[in-house]
Amino acid sequence: MTLLTATFYYMAAASIASALLAVTRRNPVHSMLWVLALFLHVAGIFLLLAAEFLAAVQVIVYAGAILIFYLFVVMLLDLPDEEARPRFGRHWPFAAAAGLSFAALAWLAQVNRLDAGGGVATPAAQNVAAEGLSQGSLSEVGMALFGPFALPFEIASLVLLAAIVGAVVLARRRPARP
Amino acid sequence: MIVPVETVLGLSAVLFGIGVFGFLARRNIILMLVSVEVMLNAINLSLVGFSRHLEDPRGQVLALFVIAVAAAEAGVGLGLVIALNRNKPGAGVGDLTELKW
Repeated sequence: MTLLTATFYYMAAASIASALLAVTRRNPVHSMLWVLALFLHVAGIFLLLAAEFLAAVQVIVYAGAILIFYLFVVMLLDLPDEEARPRFGRHWPFAAAAGLSFAALAWLAQVNRLDAGGGVATPAAQNVAAEGLSQGSLSEVGMALFGPFALPFEIASLVLLAAIVGAVVLARRRPARP
Repeated sequence: MIVPVETVLGLSAVLFGIGVFGFLARRNIILMLVSVEVMLNAINLSLVGFSRHLEDPRGQVLALFVIAVAAAEAGVGLGLVIALNRNKPGAGVGDLTELKW
């Protein structure tokens, strides 16, 4: 087992553990901090999978912006009641069963698919084996983003604009009606 | 590739299952939204794993779009939470019964 493989398995185990802690902790702020640990470990896995740009985006956007936003709202709303009340609904065994069956379904789907392939490497995968780690995945992503994906990219900016306007409208303090 | 793609997909499946469990079982609406973020992260992981396996940058581009949609979802979702909280303090989903009859 090389050092990189060992690092991957450490990241995988740590992300599963922090995800489990995140969905089971009683204190919402502790939950958020475990989700932060999960995001950072997933960013590490992205690095190991040669997706450097996505690792940076994961740290900056997910850990830096989205999670801080969640923490702000948790602190703004002052949520002490989860300490006093049960943290799960009465139906939590069904929720656990649903989660397990989703995970098992995804697992089975990929196992069957990869077994059906019989280990036949796709042409693209054969190329990789020859070339090894592709250099400059960032430039490839950039070319794809502004080439064939230019229209979806612009639509994503439109989605973000709509979300900004929607969030402002929803969270605005309504003036008192006369 | 340092690990087989099956390992990455299995990890993604496990994280997605944990996210589903959190979304269905938590009673706090903010922590339900956070569970959705865990699920989206699991999907990103499988997209990046496929992108690495097939040596195709399109997987990473799709993961970027997923991140953009997650940011939009967080903004609108938390705006809704603040609006709900203004009507009725507390973020438990058990309290939000006004649409029930």
